[in-house]
Amino acid sequence: MRTRDITVDIPYVDIVGQHAAIKDELLAAVAGVIDRGQFVLGEEVGEFERRFAELCGVDYAVGVNSGTDALILALQVLGIGPGDEVITAPNSFVATVSAVRLVGATPVFADVGDDYNIDPGRVAGAISGRTRAILPVHLTGRACAMDPLREIATAHGLPLIEDCAQAVLASYRGQGVGSFGAMGCFSLHPLKTLNACGDGGVLTTDDAELYEKLLYLRNLGLKTREDCIAWGHNSRLDTVQAAMVLVKLRYLEEWTAQRRANAAAYQAALADVAEVSYPLDDSVRESAYHTFVVEVEDRDGLKVYLQDCGIGTAIHYPTPIHLTTAGNELGYGSGAFPVAERQAKRILSLPVFAGLVPEQLERVCRSIRSYYH
Amino acid sequence: MNVPFSYLDRQFADIDAYLDDIRQLVLGGDFTLGAAVAEFEERFARLCDAPHAVGVGSGTDALTLPLRCAGLEPGDEVITTPMTFIATVGAIAMAGGRPVFVDSEDGFVIDPGKIEAAITPKTRAIVPVHYTGNVAAMPKIMDIAARNGLTVVEDACQAIGGRIEGMSVGSWGVAAGFSLHPLKNLNVWGDGGIVVTHSAELADKLRLYRNHGLKNRDEVVMFGPNSRLDSLQAVIGNRLIDEVDFITDRRIAIAARYDAALAELGDFVSVPERRAGVKHVFHLYVIRAQRRDELLAHLTAKGVEAKIHYPIPVHLQEAAQHLGYGRGDFPVSESDSESIITLPAHQHLTDEEVEYAVEAVRSFYLG
Repeated sequence: MRTRDITVDIPYVDIVGQHAAIKDELLAAVAGVIDRGQFVLGEEVGEFERRFAELCGVDYAVGVNSGTDALILALQVLGIGPGDEVITAPNSFVATVSAVRLVGATPVFADVGDDYNIDPGRVAGAISGRTRAILPVHLTGRACAMDPLREIATAHGLPLIEDCAQAVLASYRGQGVGSFGAMGCFSLHPLKTLNACGDGGVLTTDDAELYEKLLYLRNLGLKTREDCIAWGHNSRLDTVQAAMVLVKLRYLEEWTAQRRANAAAYQAALADVAEVSYPLDDSVRESAYHTFVVEVEDRDGLKVYLQDCGIGTAIHYPTPIHLTTAGNELGYGSGAFPVAERQAKRILSLPVFAGLVPEQLERVCRSIRSYYH
Repeated sequence: MNVPFSYLDRQFADIDAYLDDIRQLVLGGDFTLGAAVAEFEERFARLCDAPHAVGVGSGTDALTLPLRCAGLEPGDEVITTPMTFIATVGAIAMAGGRPVFVDSEDGFVIDPGKIEAAITPKTRAIVPVHYTGNVAAMPKIMDIAARNGLTVVEDACQAIGGRIEGMSVGSWGVAAGFSLHPLKNLNVWGDGGIVVTHSAELADKLRLYRNHGLKNRDEVVMFGPNSRLDSLQAVIGNRLIDEVDFITDRRIAIAARYDAALAELGDFVSVPERRAGVKHVFHLYVIRAQRRDELLAHLTAKGVEAKIHYPIPVHLQEAAQHLGYGRGDFPVSESDSESIITLPAHQHLTDEEVEYAVEAVRSFYLG
């Protein structure tokens, strides 16, 4: 077992430390799956789905192969395809937009606000006769402004699909994300706050009809072993992964509390640094702090400086999707979404993982201070 | 005696080594496209005499991704056979293609003599299925494809190790998709698939495409899905891949024993012709049997876990209704689906168990 010297390196994330602490439980869970021998849609998948639905305050959850697939299946189950438009934010991870493109639909962007989330004030202006859904992204783990988004969606008769890939346990007015729209789409990727040891995803819904359809769409359209009622993907959450995620569910609230405490500590320590700003917590939204993203002056210089101090940081994400090579086909240019574009040049994600100790966090803040002063 | 269809229980007889590997992986945290995946890809490619293999999320995706990368567009027609697992057709549909069926022949693979009649100006690709582990008539199919400018993606989900005219499956089409599903000849402990190709260009494109189109962490060059073989599954694959020759040889030996024994029951069962030049790897050992459903019940009662792969040909599935096919369109596939039965033939069966299964079939017909 390697020892970690916190005076030397502060990683951006610490996957190794997270797993070392619970390795025996994880291995026991894997051994349990082997005992039962049901590697495909085994009982641990059902158990995880029940527990996850409960956690999110919804009736149903469906485990799938990835967060991306959760979005694809949500769009497909609503019948969204070629010629249809889906409104989303340009500053998400690319998978949000890929999912829309992969079902053949067209992503239409609305710019974001200071909280990095889609600006409800701009959503209405993006709606056209071809709009079929609104896909808000709870980026960084902070819920979007769900009241105004729901009003717009209801007024236009559009379903909301929540991209909750970064937002397990995030809430808005006390209600968990993933329970506001037609469906919530979560990722269990290894870098997420609730993480599998490989790819995984999960959908949430209160709609019994959508739930039934999702069950067969993720499983090749099979209603029984022999009856195929629609063409579908093979996108099942592996039983082995479900078993390990069930172990992590025991710790999720504790880990999330630590992330929130870390975020609060950063906010207190950086409040008087004029070059650094960040969205403020409010009484309406409780963030899960998947990332703790600050906006800073001279971002690239600070990132290099922190790296030299042995402090890992990340950028989520350096290029808004409409300005990526893949995004060329969407026909937007530079300047189309000024807020997202400006943020992309200024944002920096600081280490916020559950195992980050106060001394480490203080050192990050000291280093930031010393860069500017 | 119980003769099981699944061999997983017996694979677990000695699992400590696997668990040790998983422990190392969990402690190392290299969960996504890690070293284990690269190692497995290299070894799998070698197994298929191919330069490139790309691990993906499932066998279905191993067909969907190359079809998409080959430039399949909505409305393009893709020819395959209704004698297959529905995933073949699901993959074509998920890639945006319109499935067009051609009847199967005696060995449960696409009948090459009937392909040309199904080609239209909209046809872009052929997906021959090496069904049951038998190998489709690739030389003829490649001739047809070349004459008509069609892309061929081999569905090799059941055919790892299969060969025809000395060449491995995956050597013929632009790509071949393999499944690593827990019941396959080479399995992992969850869903997994792998694409084999001889095209460096396609391999590069698949590596991008399976991983969100990400050239590196920050640069997206194309919109793609997330379809990666998990490192955890690659770890299992790396342990089992050493056994593929044993697995294949043992299945072939069991099939040969069944073939010889069933030849004596020629009035009641029909064993497909074993074509010269084909290495059939017997993922499934399938015969046609009279009074099939009664035979199935008899075998089940005797503890022989026989199965039917599958009782409904794909064109008669509810999902296929929009394609406009009906009963009578593919008489061989339809007739076979009423008479086929699959006998257990996995590598962990003992000779005694095989003889017991043979005797159970014999006693059904001869009393």
